Amino acid sequence: MDTLTQGNLSLLAVIAAILPLFTFLWIVLVPGKEGRGASFAIFNISLSLLISAFLFIKVWNTETIHEQIPWFSIGSTVFKAGILLNNLSVLMLLLVSAISLLVHIYSTRYMQGDPYLHRYWAYLGLFCFSMLGLVITDNLLLLYMFWELVGFSSYLLIGFWFTKDTATQASKKAFIMNRLGDLGFLTGIMILFSQFGTLDIHALFAQGGLVFESIIEGGLWKSSGNVMPEYWLTIAGLAFFFGATAKSAQFPLHTWLPDAMEGPTSVSSLIHAATMVAAGVFLLARIYPVFDATVLTVIASVGAFTAFMAATIALTQNDIKRILAFSTVSQLGFMMIAMGVGAYAPGIFHLVTHAFFKCLLFLAAGAVIHEMAHLKEKTAVDFDHQDIQNMGGLRKSMPLTFFTMLIASLALSGIPFTSGFLSKDAILIQSFEWAHDKSGLAKLIPYAALFTSLLTAFYISRLIFKVFFGEFKLSSLLKAEFKVHEAPAAMKYVLLVLAVFCLFFAFSSNPFNYESSWIVKGLVITSDSPLSGIATASSHISHVLIPVVINILSLFVIVLAYAWYVRSKQAPDFSKNFLFRFSQKQWYFNEVYQKGPVNSITNASRFTYIFDKAIIDGFVNSLGKVGILLSSIIHWIDRYIVDGLVNGIASMAKTIGNFARHFQTGRLQHYMITMVLVVLTFFIIKIFFQAI
Amino acid sequence: MIPLSHFMMISAALFCIGLFAVLSKKNAILILIGIEFMLNAAILNFVAFSKHDKLASGGQVFAVFAIVLAAATVAVTLAIVLNVYKYYKTIDPTKIDQLRD
Amino acid sequence: MTVEQILFYVMSAIALLSALLVVSQKNFVRSIFLFFLTLFSMAGLFVFALADFVAITQLVIYVGGVLVLMIFAFLLSNRELLNNPDSSKQQSSFLHYLPGILVSMLFFGVLLFVFSDLHPESFQWIAQSELNTLKPQDNTIHYLGINIMTRYLLPFEVVSVLLLMALIGAAHIARKERDR
Repeated sequence: MDTLTQGNLSLLAVIAAILPLFTFLWIVLVPGKEGRGASFAIFNISLSLLISAFLFIKVWNTETIHEQIPWFSIGSTVFKAGILLNNLSVLMLLLVSAISLLVHIYSTRYMQGDPYLHRYWAYLGLFCFSMLGLVITDNLLLLYMFWELVGFSSYLLIGFWFTKDTATQASKKAFIMNRLGDLGFLTGIMILFSQFGTLDIHALFAQGGLVFESIIEGGLWKSSGNVMPEYWLTIAGLAFFFGATAKSAQFPLHTWLPDAMEGPTSVSSLIHAATMVAAGVFLLARIYPVFDATVLTVIASVGAFTAFMAATIALTQNDIKRILAFSTVSQLGFMMIAMGVGAYAPGIFHLVTHAFFKCLLFLAAGAVIHEMAHLKEKTAVDFDHQDIQNMGGLRKSMPLTFFTMLIASLALSGIPFTSGFLSKDAILIQSFEWAHDKSGLAKLIPYAALFTSLLTAFYISRLIFKVFFGEFKLSSLLKAEFKVHEAPAAMKYVLLVLAVFCLFFAFSSNPFNYESSWIVKGLVITSDSPLSGIATASSHISHVLIPVVINILSLFVIVLAYAWYVRSKQAPDFSKNFLFRFSQKQWYFNEVYQKGPVNSITNASRFTYIFDKAIIDGFVNSLGKVGILLSSIIHWIDRYIVDGLVNGIASMAKTIGNFARHFQTGRLQHYMITMVLVVLTFFIIKIFFQAI
Repeated sequence: MIPLSHFMMISAALFCIGLFAVLSKKNAILILIGIEFMLNAAILNFVAFSKHDKLASGGQVFAVFAIVLAAATVAVTLAIVLNVYKYYKTIDPTKIDQLRD
Repeated sequence: MTVEQILFYVMSAIALLSALLVVSQKNFVRSIFLFFLTLFSMAGLFVFALADFVAITQLVIYVGGVLVLMIFAFLLSNRELLNNPDSSKQQSSFLHYLPGILVSMLFFGVLLFVFSDLHPESFQWIAQSELNTLKPQDNTIHYLGINIMTRYLLPFEVVSVLLLMALIGAAHIARKERDR
């Protein structure tokens, strides 16, 4: 920090965020051959990663950097735009740029040969720009704008294969769901602005910021500038949380995420597993002090419910990407639980670890899908290349993919020596501690989380066993000579790098104690918000007990899965069971939404359409008809009276002209006669007047 | 002595006969003859009034000039008539009406 | 009624009648020779106005020059009319003459009306010109010669140049253009 001032570091952060935008602009504005832009995009994102890493080293655990410039002013209120770099944002910066780079490299092979590849790179650049901007900005309004941009680029990428009807439907669904959440976000912003008169995150939420200064007294929420009833604080918290549920795919706005799997797998990995869906959690972390106890309980409950629900759905799905999508929803639910129970640091920790292992899971799945699709192409046999029922025994032909995916699965299940063990157990322990002094239903939350983690272990084991163990299910259908190969080099090495980050040593020196992790140390809130009323977690006996219990149960579950899906030829058939169907149909959320809000809105739209068509259009049309009638009257007047007048004058002139023309006979003597007559007339008149 | 008014009456009659020829005749040479009549009528007046102007004799001198000019006019006019005939194969002025619309 | 007066009226009658015949005659050759007669009688009338030099000039130039020129022009231009004088358009020619007749008669009426009011003998310069009035025994050529060479020298020269120009112009217009 000797040579580099704060301003310079902020500028570097801006450059890191804007570099991917150059990719987008260059591809969009500069014409060239299709499929261009890969190297430029990778160059930009790796430069971003370098800058992010530099910033991370400079800023992590040192002071907060906050730089701003005036943006615009309304009346006397000046809006400032700026950069806020603290531990949270540099961590996210590094995470986003690192995973983006890996996915970029992976995509060079995965997307190879796509006719619209240049657009893919452009969209990816736009996404990276918005996500990095979202992370570093210091202003809620700017944050909101980047939030929207992230949603928009996600929309573009989900609908990347726009010729597929399901993809366009999914992209629209994702966009609309996100818009609903944005409504909540905007409401929260408005409440905060009317209370504090500023949207500066640092001024609001930093230690001793405006939120900390505000107090609740006698049912009123008082800040330095304004007073409003207490419930507005709760409403603001809920509104922000509603915004976060849409981005992070929490109940009730979670249904878009499984559908978003229609996009390319690399996109699903980057956006819908690692980064964008984490934006909701990131938002909660950014504005954490504003949540009061009620909202935090709601967050924890919704998170627990979503985690449990998504895990049960993941049990029965057959599409490999869909399983992973529900797994993502479930894990995001875990993060929400963490946020809700005041485990701020473990929540972000889980966000980071989850980003790596879920990204790895998706990319490995992408490799499998890639090979299956190749097989399908070569053999020209029609089968669903994403269905795990068609796979099996791939362990032998794709050993590296199998190995890395196995590591990621273990991390997801929370087995010791993985990163997932550290973060997930941190959440569980913290939630048990939180529930310790609560009563009633709140006690359910940690148990739900516990049960969900067992379900997680089961469904991911099912996935691994079905895909990589046993016999290749299609060998009877296909000719024997076709074999599945290992993924191409670019994809392979990305998987390897990600696998390294799924192990404990990337995050902590002690594989069993999450509190020794540098992320948790860097993010612990030293002084608590007066609004949340959460005490700093204390060490407890559960620290030892919970991990042991969970792991024993998880191992049991994995063994059960092994017994069902590998040992016995035929897994037990639950398809007649109601619960199975309930899970398979994803708890009927889509159907209920379709029947409820969607249909009613469609009907209302149809009604307004008919109203518009019949009454408003009718009115406008009749006005138009009156206008036409008036015009035709005026036309008649114009044609026959005005024109008649003009034409009459013209034809009169013509008639006179024609008449006078007859005098011009061209005969000399006629002219002479006229001349003599004129002279004579003159004489006669003269004589006549003399006589008088 | 013949009164001046008689000369004037005769010249008026001759002038009107010439005018008629100019206005009505279908032959360019006859129109020219009509013009000569009118000139002669004028000359007659000149000469008649010149009787009372012995020393200056303006009337007679101008009568001589008028006769000379008439001769020149006739020469030029007849040349024009010949040329007109050459182009139109007629000297009827009613048929030479190409300026007509 | 002296002999002089009788002769004057006879001559004027011949002049007017022959002039009328000239304009009313169908035969063009006859018209030209009647025109010759008119000019002769006009010369006679000039003599009665005591202008014998003008009368001689009239005879020489008109009868000797103009008339011959006209006959030549006629012969060169109107041979078919000369050969077969058409009498078929009798009816239409009267209608054709009607406006000319009417205008001429009107003109004549106006002139008569004006002259009847006019008494030339009462003009001041005529009434006071006993010394300046020609007598039949005076030598008009004497006065004429002196006046032309003194008082009217400039008009005389101008007229002679004009005459020269007219002759050259007429010759130029009437010549045959060989180079066409």
